[in-house]
Amino acid sequence: MTIKRLSFLFAAVLTVLVLTACSGSSSGQETAVEDSSGGDAVTDSSALSAVDFDHELDPYVPQKDHYSFYFTYKIVHPWWDAVALGMEEAQRQYLDRGIAVTYEYMAAEAASAADQEERLLAAEKGGYDVIGVDVADAEVISKALDQMVDAGYKVMTFSSSDALEGCSRIAYVGNTHNTQDGADLAEALCKKLGYKGKVAILVGSAGAPCHEDRAFGAETAIMAYGDMEIVAKEYDNDSVDTAYELTMQILKDNPDLDGIVCCNMSNPVGAARAVTETGSDVVIVGMDHDKEALHYLKNGVIYCLGVQDCFSIGFDTIQVAVKIADGNQPGELFPEKTDETTTIIYQEDAALMLELLYGDAS
Amino acid sequence: MKKAITWKTFVITAVAGSILIMLILVLSTVWASNRIITTTDDAVSSVSSFYLEAMADNNAEMIVNLINSNFAQMDKAVEFLREEGIGSQEEFRAVIGRIKSLLSLSRFALVDEDNIVYTQYTTYTGGSRHEFLSEEKMEERIVSTVYLYGSSKQLCLAIPTKDLTIMGKRFKACFVQIDIKDIVDLLAFDDQGRTYFGLYAKNGGNLSDTELGPVVEAQNLFDATRDVVSADAWEQLRGDFANERGGSLTFSSADLAETLCYVPVQNTEWEMAVLIRESVIHDQIHGISEDNLAISRRLIVLVLVVMLLFAAILLLQFRKIARDKLEAERETSKVFRSMANTDSMTGVRNKHAYSDAEQALNRRIMENEIRELAVVVCDINGLKHVNDTQGHAAGDKLIMDASAMICECFTHGAVYRIGGDEFVVLLQGKGYDTMNGVIADLNRQVEANISTDDVVISIGYSVLTAEDEQLRDVFARADQMMYERKKELKGMGAKTRQD
Repeated sequence: MTIKRLSFLFAAVLTVLVLTACSGSSSGQETAVEDSSGGDAVTDSSALSAVDFDHELDPYVPQKDHYSFYFTYKIVHPWWDAVALGMEEAQRQYLDRGIAVTYEYMAAEAASAADQEERLLAAEKGGYDVIGVDVADAEVISKALDQMVDAGYKVMTFSSSDALEGCSRIAYVGNTHNTQDGADLAEALCKKLGYKGKVAILVGSAGAPCHEDRAFGAETAIMAYGDMEIVAKEYDNDSVDTAYELTMQILKDNPDLDGIVCCNMSNPVGAARAVTETGSDVVIVGMDHDKEALHYLKNGVIYCLGVQDCFSIGFDTIQVAVKIADGNQPGELFPEKTDETTTIIYQEDAALMLELLYGDAS
Repeated sequence: MKKAITWKTFVITAVAGSILIMLILVLSTVWASNRIITTTDDAVSSVSSFYLEAMADNNAEMIVNLINSNFAQMDKAVEFLREEGIGSQEEFRAVIGRIKSLLSLSRFALVDEDNIVYTQYTTYTGGSRHEFLSEEKMEERIVSTVYLYGSSKQLCLAIPTKDLTIMGKRFKACFVQIDIKDIVDLLAFDDQGRTYFGLYAKNGGNLSDTELGPVVEAQNLFDATRDVVSADAWEQLRGDFANERGGSLTFSSADLAETLCYVPVQNTEWEMAVLIRESVIHDQIHGISEDNLAISRRLIVLVLVVMLLFAAILLLQFRKIARDKLEAERETSKVFRSMANTDSMTGVRNKHAYSDAEQALNRRIMENEIRELAVVVCDINGLKHVNDTQGHAAGDKLIMDASAMICECFTHGAVYRIGGDEFVVLLQGKGYDTMNGVIADLNRQVEANISTDDVVISIGYSVLTAEDEQLRDVFARADQMMYERKKELKGMGAKTRQD
């Protein structure tokens, strides 16, 4: 019996050993997996908070499964293309929830209140749930908007230019602090110049609320310092080429110019080109996130830029438009003015902002 | 009942064990060999596939195929649109949606002659958004890279749509935009994570956001390699990128060489770069060696354990066999010893046994250890007569009958046959105590047998006295008495030697 038991034990141990030996080597190599988050540490920077690309729709449940909007803005320009990307993200998220949002997003090749008025009249016949306007000229367009509201159209304003105070448009999504933005840029310039010197102001389109407000804010800030002088104020009609030509002329007329305040997106690009070409050491402060302007900022030609969060403007515009389409009024669901941020960035923020907005390869 | 282990069992066990061990060794060796071959093949395959230029070419070709496939699908889409009678904006959007879905086209859109872009959900003025729209007229297919606000990068493929009119508007182009991340996913799936690869723009910028090894990581390729290669090599790299040429670059990191190979991706102004580190091959070979070593260690341990178990079983079997053999020898010795002391005819003790007993008793008598001892001498009457007249068989029978008769009477004594017709009974203990009665009974039986011509035995006896120094002294007296008795029985008619 002892032998029999031993034989069984032997067989059992043998089996286990064979199986262990055979299976042991199959562990193989672990395939090697790298931590993708192990890139460069991102330092705290104004650039990081300037634009928020991480948005999610709020819990509001739309009443319909299809919405149709019409949006018109001042001018065909990359700034509004950035707003469009925010709109498309909101549209995509609504689609994920089974809600189709279709819209037209149209502008003229050159800023024109008349053209915008025509577009609005045409839109009235389009059967849209909401009509949104980035006001080209507050005086002209505000009246048109009042008439549309009176006629029963649901109208909102968006982007960087609201209608005049008292306009009956339902809500506004965008920059509500253009005057302050102009003042902040001017303050940065004055500080850089030691609160002493001659400056010029470049503005975009005459009558465009955002441009005018910024110019007003800048003028007010500069005038507060006795040793500061405004020697020129010109409008480029949102054209880089015009901004360049105007700057060349200003530099020619004012060889002792110390700084330029740029109130829109095309101003700083044109001004920087001229300053670079002439070899001037004029200090430029300006608005927005134009790629060329950011490169000038990176190279030190532009001193600082006020970057608006266009992506958030676009995203929030679609969200507010859906609520307005459902018959909601400003209140708990959305404010009468949805404020979006402007962040002033400097040379040290330029590379990160370029990477963030346009990628390294651009 | 224990079953004895025979040599046959032992041999079978040994042979079976040996065969089993051999079988294990052979199978293990075959298995290990196959395993090594398979692993080595895998490694060789992996290393072969690290043939960088082929890898880069393969990846670049996949992108070109993707582009060509999308162009072909767009051609189909345009043909479809020509045949559709689209009457409204809603209908137009629905058709675009169907085309996107059916032809798997990513962000398919059409552009009219006013640069208005029509997608499934949106219509927008696209002059500033799409670079290819800056051209007045589109004559050829366009492949371009789009850098979106938010750092997203897309591949834009556009084709002219000659004579395409929808809702009374003339359309000049249609286009798709493919997220470069989707292209990367496609390449990564095929690559299965064996190499580092990346797509780069002419300025060295990383389009794919992939990490090209621990040195380059996801940086601009020019920036990342500026300090790790010679100035000439770096300028060569820049020149190759600018002129859409292929090439390779080798540099060291942490004492390990890294080699990257780049090839242009046709029509895109991109460069596909693939990189491998020596450490990857090193890790592969090291892994294989470790694996094989582990297998060998396990096999060695397995064989040792099997051998030990087998040896233990053999040892136990040897012990069992030796014990059985010893026992058998003891039995044989016992039988032999018994045969040496036994009378073969009658089964009682023989003269040899009597001599042993006499020797032992003499020692005890000498040492005064024994007090009660009687010697009875028995002699068969008429044995010669029977042998002479009836033959030896009858004589033998007479001896056996006489022996039986003596044994029946002296049940408590030791009976010895010390001669042909002579027996001696040694009585001690109870046999000694009952001696007189037993002898009287036997003598009466003998006397009765005379008339029936049956067994007649002459009996003489004597007991140990203080004067006796040896057993022969007692025996002599008993023998003398037996002769007296023989005479007496002759007088009664019993046969004698002379008869």
